[in-house]
Amino acid sequence: MTELNVRKTQDEALDRIREQLLKLGNRAQDAIRKAVWALEKQDEALSKEVLDGDDVLDSLASCIEEGCLLFTARYQPVAQDLRTISALNRMAIDLERIGDLGVSIAKITRFFFGKTLIKPLIDIPRMAEIVEEMIDGCMRAFINRDVEEARRVCAMDDTLDDLDRQIFNELLLLMIENPRVIEQATQLVLVSRALERAGDHATNLAEKTIYMVTGKHVNASDFRRKREG
Amino acid sequence: MSRMKFEISSLNLHYGTTQALKDVKIDLPEKTVTAFIGPSGCGKSTFLRCLNRMNDFIPRCRVEGRVLLDETDIYAPQTDVIELRRRVGMVFQKPNPFPSSIYDNVAYGPRLHGTTGRAALDQIVRQSLEGAALWDEVRDKLNSPAMSLSGGQQQRLCIARAIAVQPEVLLMDEPTSALDPMSTARIEELVRELKTKYTVIIVTHNMQQAARISDLTAFFLLGEMVETGPTQEIFTSPADRRTEDYITGRFG
Repeated sequence: MTELNVRKTQDEALDRIREQLLKLGNRAQDAIRKAVWALEKQDEALSKEVLDGDDVLDSLASCIEEGCLLFTARYQPVAQDLRTISALNRMAIDLERIGDLGVSIAKITRFFFGKTLIKPLIDIPRMAEIVEEMIDGCMRAFINRDVEEARRVCAMDDTLDDLDRQIFNELLLLMIENPRVIEQATQLVLVSRALERAGDHATNLAEKTIYMVTGKHVNASDFRRKREG
Repeated sequence: MSRMKFEISSLNLHYGTTQALKDVKIDLPEKTVTAFIGPSGCGKSTFLRCLNRMNDFIPRCRVEGRVLLDETDIYAPQTDVIELRRRVGMVFQKPNPFPSSIYDNVAYGPRLHGTTGRAALDQIVRQSLEGAALWDEVRDKLNSPAMSLSGGQQQRLCIARAIAVQPEVLLMDEPTSALDPMSTARIEELVRELKTKYTVIIVTHNMQQAARISDLTAFFLLGEMVETGPTQEIFTSPADRRTEDYITGRFG
């Protein structure tokens, strides 16, 4: 043995929690992607897969929470370790919520089976892609400790909000023109809103990553388009 | 921030040819708890001993620089060192009561400084033991040997002995490293109370202890004072990489 690495066990424990967070990130992305695919392709099996996958997502999130608690009790982390544990703990909550939003979409999807869609779905799948990219960006920023990447994720939320507003306005017009589409249009508004909220959770992930790296608390809105008025 | 009790600048200390402190500059505010942390041999205990000139006893130890206590240089030739040590008391790593009774341990300092009346001494002993949160445990056995107390009680007795001469500053050199968790918790709680009356400066190897009880933390490494700041900042986002590496256990 050359030199004893006194941080070995501690670093391994942190790595294990990091890996679990990445898994949870993948699961949350899957939930959103599959739920929107199921809606687009009217795929009942895929929708069920999302609903069934929720337990795995929940238990991964619990594992991370427990891992963070144990790490805190065993190593009493400070400085960067403390910020990492705090980030892991809070990011797990946001990812779990994103997964829940996927489940909500999957539930709404069931309403559409066997029905003709009132309009081709273009913007909703686009929103799902953006949410996926945001989660991807957050996971990369987290692992590479990349503050710039995390800031880009925050900025992406603007596009998501624009699409949500655009979808709402379009559907509103459709409903005014033809009240028979109200039921379907309302469900689609809910899907759009779920994706918009998933984006908000993704910006939380980015904020936590920036805190972990820099020790500074930031607000995602600092990196987003300035609101008028 | 309150008034500065100690203002130290350009402090260099040599043991023979070895330099143990390098150009240390730090101000210590009154009635706060400041913790000194750092690996063994980094100079933190040496620095602590500079504050009441305990290094004077060490042969070939040379001190240069300014150590102002209430704006007066304690290394000035006219300094009354006995009076300095009354004002700046000290508690050590291992409890070191005198081999006499509990009462005599606490009364020792006041007697030395000229208090002789029984009633006055009784009052000082009681107040000091109360101040050290030991009175209730020893009030019925003040004439028992101090050595019959437990380690934690002995350490509180040493604190009582230190505060009996009404100091302004208490220096504590790893005061809980020889104590069990419950005795440690008592001392920590006591430190929190002591800071309402005294300026407390504590050397500790226990990071969590520094995080729990101190207002300010200073990190020492290889004789240098690397970083000082509010404890909360040092333990959540230290500015210097060396501090980060030390407190997260990457070296030291």
